Amino acid sequence: MAVRLTVNGEKRTVEVESDTPLLWVVRDELGLKGTKFGCGKGLCGACTVHLNGQPVRSCSTPVEMAEGGDVITIEGLTTDGDLHPLQLAWVEHGVPQCGYCQSGQIMSAAHLLQHNQSPSREDIVAAVSGNLCRCGTYSRIVAAVESVVENRAAQSSQGEA
Amino acid sequence: MTMNRRDFLKVTAGTSGGLVISLSLPGCAGIQTGYDEKSGDWKPDAWLELTADDQVYFTLARVEMGQGTYTGLTTLIAEELEVAPAGIKPRFAPVASEYRNPLYKLQLTGGSISVATSWQPLRVAGASARIMLINAAASVWEVSPGDCRAAEGRVMHPNGNDSLSYGRLVELAAKQKVPDEPALKPRSEWKYIGKNRGRLDAEAKSTGAPIYGIDVELEGMVFAVVTRPPRYGARVRSFDDSEARKLPGVLDVFQIERGVAVVADKYWRARKAQDAVTIEWDNSEALSVSNDQVFDSYHQAADEDPGESERREGDYNDAVERAERLVEASYEQPYLAHATLEPMNATAWYRDSGIEVWAPTQAPDLGRIAAARVTDLSPDNVTIHTTFLGGGFGRRLTNDYIEEASAVAFRMRKPVKLIWSREEDTRHDLYRPAMLHRMQASVSGDTVTGWHHQIVGPQILDWYVRNAAPAQYPWAPKFLYNTLGRVGLMAEGIATPKDHSAIEGAIEYPYRVPNLDIRHTHTDPGVPVSWWRSVGFSHNGFAVETFMDELASELGQDPYRFRRSLIDHEPRHLQVLDRAIALSQWGKPVAEGRARGLALYRSFGTYVAQVVEASVEAGEIRVHKVACAVDCGQVVNPDIVRDQIEGGVIFGLTAALYGDITFEEGQVKQSNFHDYPLMRHDQRPEVMVDIVDSEEAPTGVGEPGVPPVIPALGNALFALSGKRQRKLPLKAQV
Repeated sequence: MAVRLTVNGEKRTVEVESDTPLLWVVRDELGLKGTKFGCGKGLCGACTVHLNGQPVRSCSTPVEMAEGGDVITIEGLTTDGDLHPLQLAWVEHGVPQCGYCQSGQIMSAAHLLQHNQSPSREDIVAAVSGNLCRCGTYSRIVAAVESVVENRAAQSSQGEA
Repeated sequence: MTMNRRDFLKVTAGTSGGLVISLSLPGCAGIQTGYDEKSGDWKPDAWLELTADDQVYFTLARVEMGQGTYTGLTTLIAEELEVAPAGIKPRFAPVASEYRNPLYKLQLTGGSISVATSWQPLRVAGASARIMLINAAASVWEVSPGDCRAAEGRVMHPNGNDSLSYGRLVELAAKQKVPDEPALKPRSEWKYIGKNRGRLDAEAKSTGAPIYGIDVELEGMVFAVVTRPPRYGARVRSFDDSEARKLPGVLDVFQIERGVAVVADKYWRARKAQDAVTIEWDNSEALSVSNDQVFDSYHQAADEDPGESERREGDYNDAVERAERLVEASYEQPYLAHATLEPMNATAWYRDSGIEVWAPTQAPDLGRIAAARVTDLSPDNVTIHTTFLGGGFGRRLTNDYIEEASAVAFRMRKPVKLIWSREEDTRHDLYRPAMLHRMQASVSGDTVTGWHHQIVGPQILDWYVRNAAPAQYPWAPKFLYNTLGRVGLMAEGIATPKDHSAIEGAIEYPYRVPNLDIRHTHTDPGVPVSWWRSVGFSHNGFAVETFMDELASELGQDPYRFRRSLIDHEPRHLQVLDRAIALSQWGKPVAEGRARGLALYRSFGTYVAQVVEASVEAGEIRVHKVACAVDCGQVVNPDIVRDQIEGGVIFGLTAALYGDITFEEGQVKQSNFHDYPLMRHDQRPEVMVDIVDSEEAPTGVGEPGVPPVIPALGNALFALSGKRQRKLPLKAQV
């Protein structure tokens, strides 16, 4: 079937079987390799993308469920070559080890930050707990997200002053 | 490592009129080095290339799987070359003898030795190039080289004003004499070593850059999946692909040595078609073992065969005769899967000229053998392009996935990407072996007089030599590969003088006990096994440090005081022990419902002490804190050391709490992360890492964080409940 999607702001149409997971459409039909295959069952979070503003496991989301939808992938967080504040924090904190899970971690955190201006540590941990990291980079992930939250707070208090 | 400069620098007149300088290990040659007049680029040795337009390329002979060699080894070059690490572009090495690991005589990454073995040669490589650049500039300016210095990719004139960039100097530098004994910078002048400088690959890994094996994209590429026998060792008897071939996009279905391959134009189509193939398996040579039988067979072997003596001190039997009492325990540890987050995959393209393989592999020259075995090619016609690895942990030392991709590509004659599912990855791994440990100690009064440790289980090398042997004997004709590998005795001594995989971390027993008897009873139930992050240390650490804890308890001593009294002759052990104790506030009151456990362990030359603080809440084990003290000699990048120790803790705790691959009738029961779980964010403890400031030669950090945390947690649970757990994984209720 022909499936229409808006991916990272661009309208795209792909010709695939309706049950093809969104993951393989994004990776192989659209060439966006940043979204990773880890488990195929929605258990590890490496394939996390935003679909209509919600974080979803693209490995277990048939593309027909995304028809007409708005998809944001890790590549879509970078605008005009400028890294997303989370991506900058990831580099600053040296978060990645093997790095394979990090797109998914960042997408989960990005969704949190869109909807919660000042999340607590518990909020952050809850938001990323579905994202497995075999290398064990968890503490740096939380520290990186917290640094973005703190920068935000500093900026908004400057704005108020 | 000491090496005579002359032994490994060879200078010859190059064919292009420039100077060819080849930096290589003794007996190796083959990398094209020297000055290229056409491009104006200078490749002073196998590792470095400096271009006329001021680019610096560093050939990284080790792979990057998260452990940080990409950053760490680049830092070593940068320090001596006087270029910022971020100004150097690392490239993964092709297969060549220059890039072999000097310890293994194979081009592989494992054993936590990349920094240790590169520490001297890479700094020498950087320093030699720097000195030649300085000499070149000095000759231009007609000043003494001793008055010039290098900084930030330039040579500075003694007048303090003029400078020349390396790019301007490469042509002249190539004609300079290669220094015999290049003086390395003193520690006080280091700018990068020992400093936190982030990770050079962090941005690529935070923006979704296509750097992993699974991301490889080639024009006209097709996709393959392989159905392997559910029981290890089974063969395809027959298969019916008639339904599968009717499905859209299916290009071919055929048998390969390891199963039945389905090839389609898209990955998802190959996966769906795989379900439509029915296969009948010939199980006549298949594994039929179940977990209970494994341990039954181990106990039986242990009873019947006291095993090979691996270390003997004093007279253990005499100590037993004289002892007031004996303390005994036996420990059972399960099979473990590697569970790299990037599943096994490889992309291969067979053409007239040979085969190219793109793969996340820890052992590219073994990958060449794997590809050659299943095609009509010799290893020389196999090109391996190593990508970043989405985790390794020892799994990718075995190139079964390269073998499969190559076999499929040989038939398809077009680029083929093979991807394993998570279920396939879990069920067709080569596992950390299940092991049995029988411990006994003789005790008189409050003194341990003897230590007896019987390790029962397989050796890993038996499973590995099939691939490794031909890589080390490249002259051997291809038909000998299987023979070379399978003749156990011949294999012994090929890859390493002795396979220590079962006994490492047991034979180095460090405590002051006068009579030691440490043995290995070799028995192999037929389950494929491999190296798994920290290898033998992973199970011997649990055995040694749990039994030490049992002895402390038997003698009514504090676990810390007990260990300390027996290790005060080992200053580096002692220091990390004391520092972990201080960091953890050992001896101070602990929160209600919690308890602390300790372990002290040296692996891969690195000393680690860990204190775990744990509780049992709502029927689950909670690990709250882990205090670590680490002595890994000279630190190259403190941030990466901290990361590796913390990552090792998470990896070890994952094994201690959940790790259990079970066989039923020769089949692995687990399949995905729901039944082979990994520790999650909300389960992670706070990990504190105290790194000893040391000028000793650097040792590895990728693995040593793993072993001690497993017994430390077990010991904490004992402190909590008074009940000793002697079987892994640990349980909340016993």
